[in-house]
Amino acid sequence: MVAFRPSEDETMMRDEVVSFAKTLRTDARAFEKARAVSEETRRAAHGMGLGSLAIPAAAGGAGLGLVTQALVEEAIAYGDPAAAFGLAGGASFVRAVLELGSEEDAAKILSRYTAEDGFKRFGAVAWGERKPNPERAGFSTIATGGKITGQKSFVVNASRAETFVVFAQVDETQGWDGIAAFVVDADAPGVTVSPRAATLGLEIADVADVKFEDAPATKLGDGSAFTEKTIRFFAKTGLIMAARAVGLAQAAFDVTRDYCDGRKAFGKPIGHFQAVAFNLADRAMDVDAARSLVWRAAEAWDRGAPEKEALLYSAHAVSFALEAAMRCGDDAVQLHGGSGFMRDYPVEKFMRDAKQLQLCVMTAEQADQLAAAIEVGQPLSIGAILPTPETQTTLV
Amino acid sequence: MTIEFTLSNRQRDLQAGVRSLAQSIVRPQSLRWDREHAIDEDFLRNLARMATSMGHGGLGTSASLMRQEEEAPAAEKKPKSQNLTTVLASEEMAWGDAALLLCVPGPGLGGPPVRASGTPEQKKRFFGIFDDLTVLKWGAYALTEPTAGSDVAGIRTSCRKDGKNWVINGRKCFITNGARASWNVVFATVDPALGRAGHRAFVVEKGTPGFSVGRIEDKMGLRASETAELVFEDCRVPADNLLGGEEKYVTKEGFMTAMKTFDNTRPIVASMAIGIGRAAYEYARDFVKDHYVLSRPIPRYAAIAERLARVGRGLAAARMVTWRAAWLADEGIENAKEASMAKAMAGQAAIRACIDAIEICGAEGSIQTDHALLEKWFRDIKVYDIFEGTGQIQRIVISKRLISNLKSF
Repeated sequence: MVAFRPSEDETMMRDEVVSFAKTLRTDARAFEKARAVSEETRRAAHGMGLGSLAIPAAAGGAGLGLVTQALVEEAIAYGDPAAAFGLAGGASFVRAVLELGSEEDAAKILSRYTAEDGFKRFGAVAWGERKPNPERAGFSTIATGGKITGQKSFVVNASRAETFVVFAQVDETQGWDGIAAFVVDADAPGVTVSPRAATLGLEIADVADVKFEDAPATKLGDGSAFTEKTIRFFAKTGLIMAARAVGLAQAAFDVTRDYCDGRKAFGKPIGHFQAVAFNLADRAMDVDAARSLVWRAAEAWDRGAPEKEALLYSAHAVSFALEAAMRCGDDAVQLHGGSGFMRDYPVEKFMRDAKQLQLCVMTAEQADQLAAAIEVGQPLSIGAILPTPETQTTLV
Repeated sequence: MTIEFTLSNRQRDLQAGVRSLAQSIVRPQSLRWDREHAIDEDFLRNLARMATSMGHGGLGTSASLMRQEEEAPAAEKKPKSQNLTTVLASEEMAWGDAALLLCVPGPGLGGPPVRASGTPEQKKRFFGIFDDLTVLKWGAYALTEPTAGSDVAGIRTSCRKDGKNWVINGRKCFITNGARASWNVVFATVDPALGRAGHRAFVVEKGTPGFSVGRIEDKMGLRASETAELVFEDCRVPADNLLGGEEKYVTKEGFMTAMKTFDNTRPIVASMAIGIGRAAYEYARDFVKDHYVLSRPIPRYAAIAERLARVGRGLAAARMVTWRAAWLADEGIENAKEASMAKAMAGQAAIRACIDAIEICGAEGSIQTDHALLEKWFRDIKVYDIFEGTGQIQRIVISKRLISNLKSF
């Protein structure tokens, strides 16, 4: 059957998050200034179980699928796209543990995040590096003898993470096939976090570099099917970013639509001019199409559709939704005119957040390369389709 | 109910059936039909028979299904997913040949207004002629005029009551199957000053005195489909042919009849565009597989990959929006905005697909040969952003439903 309607449970959950997200919109500027979501809000979100939707019941989570997660993430981002990055846990971190670790790993690592004081805890994924290795393909960060050495960049939640999932080279002769994932405690010896970066948007995200010098590391998972699992990690986390992009796009659209109703020029509301109305119509199509693509990809994963199918739908969702959000943010400022440029209105933030979101986890370009590789039957390799220092870096 | 995208077995079977027909029988003849400006009658006869047995008649629902629907008790009416099923089949058939769908015998675009507004007697009379499947018959829908295209309310074709007849004067143009149709649903006005309230819809039968066919158009694409000009000179139509009877026109009903047709047909037209776009996309994708040594990527490869992916996701997005519009119709939920979104997105995504597919294939993509239909698809697709409401009209429909108190621009 084909249906575009969330179930009753999903609708109830979403409605609850929508009303919570109204407070996020109110507080968005305060969070931005503080570069963090308040403890009170994190506590409320944690109480609603928002950070542990995907975490299996064995680790104290709800064990829900990606459709529910997409609905919830969209609703949060509708309130404040940045706030989604400031709630406890961390979408990338949780997903990395789930996809790359064993069930025991997940139970052991994630149960701290579902505990009562989980609202204080963050995790991070240390994936990116600033420059390509000039000698060979792969990361410059090396893992050997249970220790990691190297510098990772563009790490979301870097300065507040308790735990890192670190990707490092284990076999220097194997290029991108020679990497593995490790778990490193933030307070372990040899771990240094650089000062937080100032970013264009999503200030809440807490982006910094992390330096590892002979830091003790435990391997995450058994390393089997590593490339497939890593691609799945990026596709599913990218899909969550796409769901946030839909929330951002809808928020920017709604605020702008209301503005066009109220703002008058030449004796009538500006929405009554075709140049403005058609622009709104185009953005409405962007939002609706992006949401449908996200739902379709999430449903494919939840249903257990063939891997390539789910990856292809995810790639479509990621590239379309990220670009749609950017168009919605851009046009939101444009239609507000000079006022849109002022921080009195939320749209300039939506626009900055949209650009930043386009650089989170997977870019539209990478999603396009993934889709094309599936369609023309190219092997899916990390070097060709994921964000690497050799291609295009992202915040993970 | 929840969010899901699994087709029913019936839908999957129909999709696979139409796909295999499109691939093995339709495509091989596509270019010949295009050159000959016609499709063999025997072929159309077989297709009509098959479409009826599948409960699917190309544009809209087949006549027999409309009849059944009329006669069946309410509880037994059409299967709930009829719109979505039609959308699925249309995409597959258009993938084979788009003009064919416009040539399928049956009431065509004339069906929906008769179904929506006709009296029981009218439905019986006008749909009844399609019962004999051995004789090819068409219905058509005549709205556009030389001076009124998108501005439907501005039609000038006049009608006045004269005893038991109505007298129609004026011209209609760009009417699909208009010349060969057994009847046309013709929109005319009792007084242009009344705007939409002055509109009347008539079923004008072939051979009615004063009705004649003008020129047959020579088109960029969809050349196998007949596009005709219709001329009405003191054309006398019996009062029984006024669609819905006179009491129906106390309000703006006449115009609404014209418009209601579109909420159901726009997703179908959108899915046809997606079918053509997908054909072009798959052609380019296979061309890339065959012509590039993928183990030796050249700089052009990544650029092509991105271009292909953009086309692919554009079509995927349009398909989702189209499915949603059809699903809303199946659920009995108002879908005017979503139907227009589907039409607007699909037209553009498919045009993009055809333009980019030719670019990717280089010179070879522009050459007409029997097995390379890219240049044909490029010609066929353009009108999908024009007929059934241009992309601009779709945006008017959409924005009126987004912006407060917007009556007109």
